[in-house]
Amino acid sequence: MTEKSLLKNIDWKLIFLLVLISIIGVFVIYSSSRYLPGNYFVRQIIFMLISLAVLFIFLTVNYRKLITYSLYIYIVLVGILVGILLFGRFIAGTKSWIRLPLFQVQPSELTKIAIVLVLAKVFASHKDRFVSRRRGLFGASLVLVPFILTAIQPDLGTALIFVVILAAALYLAGLRTKTVVILLVLAVILASLGWMFGLKDYQKKRITTLILPQKDPQGAGYHILQSKIAIGAGGMFGKGFQKGSQSQLRFLPARHTDFIFSVIGEEFGFAGVAVVLLLYIVFISRLFSSVKKSRDRGGVYIIFMVAVMISFQFFINVFMVIGFFPVAGIPLPMLSYGGSSLLTHYLAVSLVLNVKMRRFVNI
Amino acid sequence: MMKDKIYEDLSTVLKRANHIRLSMLVLFGFLLVCFWKVQILDHKEYWQKAEANRLREIPISAPRGLILDREGNILAENIASYKASVLIEENRDHGDWLDKVSQLLDLEKSVLEERIQKYRGLSTYKPIVIKDNLTLREVSRLEARKLELPELIIQADPKRYYPFGKFASHIIGYLQELSPEELAIPEYKDRRMGDIIGKTGVEKTYESVLAGTDGFSVEIVDSMGRIKGEKRRREPRAGNNIRLSLDFDIQSKAEELLEGKEGIIICLDVCTGGVYSLASYPDFDPNKFINRFTPEEWMALVNNPANPLENRAIRGLYSPGSVFKVLMALAALDLDVIRPSSSFYCGGVVRIYDHPYNCWYAPGHGRIGLIEAIRLSCNIYFYQLGRRMNISDIARYAKNLGYGELTGIDLPGEKKGLLPDPEWKMEVRNEPWYAGDTISVSIGQGILSVTPLQVAVHTAMVANRGKKVIPHLLMGGNRGQVLFPNHTPSEKGTDFISQEHFESVIKGMWSSVNAGGTARGARVQGFDVCGKTGSTQIVSRETAEKLDKESKWIRTHSWFTGFAPREQPRIVVTVLVEYGGMGGTTAAPLARQIFTLFREKYD
Repeated sequence: MTEKSLLKNIDWKLIFLLVLISIIGVFVIYSSSRYLPGNYFVRQIIFMLISLAVLFIFLTVNYRKLITYSLYIYIVLVGILVGILLFGRFIAGTKSWIRLPLFQVQPSELTKIAIVLVLAKVFASHKDRFVSRRRGLFGASLVLVPFILTAIQPDLGTALIFVVILAAALYLAGLRTKTVVILLVLAVILASLGWMFGLKDYQKKRITTLILPQKDPQGAGYHILQSKIAIGAGGMFGKGFQKGSQSQLRFLPARHTDFIFSVIGEEFGFAGVAVVLLLYIVFISRLFSSVKKSRDRGGVYIIFMVAVMISFQFFINVFMVIGFFPVAGIPLPMLSYGGSSLLTHYLAVSLVLNVKMRRFVNI
Repeated sequence: MMKDKIYEDLSTVLKRANHIRLSMLVLFGFLLVCFWKVQILDHKEYWQKAEANRLREIPISAPRGLILDREGNILAENIASYKASVLIEENRDHGDWLDKVSQLLDLEKSVLEERIQKYRGLSTYKPIVIKDNLTLREVSRLEARKLELPELIIQADPKRYYPFGKFASHIIGYLQELSPEELAIPEYKDRRMGDIIGKTGVEKTYESVLAGTDGFSVEIVDSMGRIKGEKRRREPRAGNNIRLSLDFDIQSKAEELLEGKEGIIICLDVCTGGVYSLASYPDFDPNKFINRFTPEEWMALVNNPANPLENRAIRGLYSPGSVFKVLMALAALDLDVIRPSSSFYCGGVVRIYDHPYNCWYAPGHGRIGLIEAIRLSCNIYFYQLGRRMNISDIARYAKNLGYGELTGIDLPGEKKGLLPDPEWKMEVRNEPWYAGDTISVSIGQGILSVTPLQVAVHTAMVANRGKKVIPHLLMGGNRGQVLFPNHTPSEKGTDFISQEHFESVIKGMWSSVNAGGTARGARVQGFDVCGKTGSTQIVSRETAEKLDKESKWIRTHSWFTGFAPREQPRIVVTVLVEYGGMGGTTAAPLARQIFTLFREKYD
């Protein structure tokens, strides 16, 4: 098979949706940060072009090769995570960034891709109805290492996504009801231990203010409250592009990153929200329906984990901005400002395309 | 190997993947419902919150109206000043912020905290004034750090200024911040917490005229409190000016004469009741009270035993002493107890109801008629009147001639005084009324107290031959308004007392001044002053104790009250000097200077 026929099998509709959502992101980033120094929307356009290029370059490498070498990719990224913990400096309160001459990179974002690949390797060779204990524990321990490294940065939000990816893989591999129950009990114990010893005060506060946002309007609940005000004030058709008082007058925190969806809610109203949500429904739905377009088990795992990862980030973010989830520091996939996050999602989609376009190929 | 991959059975994993996909769709549905609730159902509530977020209402103080004297001298005006206010909702880091501001403004942190606490209940985005009368240095220091402290607002604020300081301070009054209790009164329903209002004097009486209407500016601000624009604005409307009947020269002279004493000089227009002067001493400088933060000076004034804040002219209660003899004479004549020609014998002492009563003149005046009795202020003559009169009659005449009732002057806090009343004595002292009490009252002692203004009003009625006078300060406002009813003496009053009785008494008063009587010290050549002196023993026990403490050896208050000229009288002058000794020696000469000045100025 030639490169040409591979190109023919690329899912262009998925790329179109990906780029369309990113372009909407650029507009909203412009509206919510044009008065800030730093030209965020220009940078986002550059990130988008780079990510798009990387997406296509990445397609040339067969995903099976990526699975084969996934352990090395994983080790390199874990090494970087250890490195920034030891040598990194605090940026925005966490040690999750590598400072490069022109921009900063967040390696924990790219770690998601490594985890997807390495879990695909672990579970693809498994064909039973239920996953074996040995295999399950091996996969879990592979996730545990970057989870801990990321959680102590501290970036609990990203670390949580690692667990979501693991859960998706385990679910697909098959868990007995008994195992699920044991895992849930274990999770509750770990969560309460974490609450007592592990969580920092600000993280606890975020969770308590989720339940009582009015209790502390100037503190942690302030963000949620301002976000809800922005969304609610938008009404049916919104206040108009660049006209939202909550975002333009900076009442809304993290307007161009984590709370970008609140800006859409304020400036474009429920109509705008519905349109954007619909785009995500179509996009995520297409990811899930791509699962059956894989020719092998490894591909199924990859596409499924990517689909679950992107949907979870999407849901967590959107539920966060209307106050149904704690402020977790998870950006809206493709829409929020941020190069690392954008690149990660383009790479993830690239993996899906990679699997899909090679479904007829026999090597 | 190859075959294994192509025909691999993926149906289980695909089924599981599909389950997750379906549950995602359910979540989407739920998500849409959530946004529908927030954006459509609760839209109004959030919209209002967004508005409140971005808007900030800053009041713009209206300058108060000017207070002028009768000739247009400015007694109270406004000067530019700066005040600092703070918007509490803005500041998140309270402790650190307080440190910074208290340092910048040179304020005690606890004072600042207390003040902010006091106004906690104020609606969310309204500023709290934390310091006024900022110096230019403070203003520039704050302006320089504006970006750092956006919640701090520096505003120009017209500040009341009294160019003559202590001049007429009791009449003009002073301003202070509205108290929470006053805020509850309907009169101040348009005022806000932290507003400055008139607390005494005409500043209080004419508050609604002087105050004007504050403006406001509704500003659009960002989350840091930085101003991004103005949405609405209402310019303040300045208050109306008022013109007082006060005469700058006479009031100044009166204050000058009282300096170093404790006393009162009142000067009224006989016909209209217009107040030329109403000096009460000691006085105070109202400029010092305008600060919102009550300084130590304020407490010092409040606690000062000489009570400089008290307007003694309308609030000081004194025995009228011999001044009351004018009323006794009129009442006795009208009741036919005596005739103008009736005479009694004064031997220096007289026994009435088995009790000796002394005349102030120990050798005695001998046989003495009414005119002479007034001229020489003979006590025995008036004891004899008291013996023949009913206490309720005396009280009735006193009430008709200005005592025991509010005079109606346009100043707040006037006191009524006390007329002799057997029921009152029974109630308060639990004793019946003795005939001897009436004897004391007949020379203006005992159960009887009056304010100096009542004495002045009484004198004006005598001068008017019975026509009533209501003293007042307001002459008019600007913009052609007449704010106070016209003050021509009313036809009513005491016209039941015959004119000739008045003439008899006035003759006595005239001779007291012009024929070597007790009031001769008030004589002005060619001005026909008629007057009466009084020297009163100290009434209340508190006052007596105070005297002992301060070891003041003169134990009498010195009165003079009179009018001039005898025919077609124009002014009344009433003088009271506390602990001044004999009325003739202290009070009358002060009155003479006021009569002289008036004559020079208005004749």
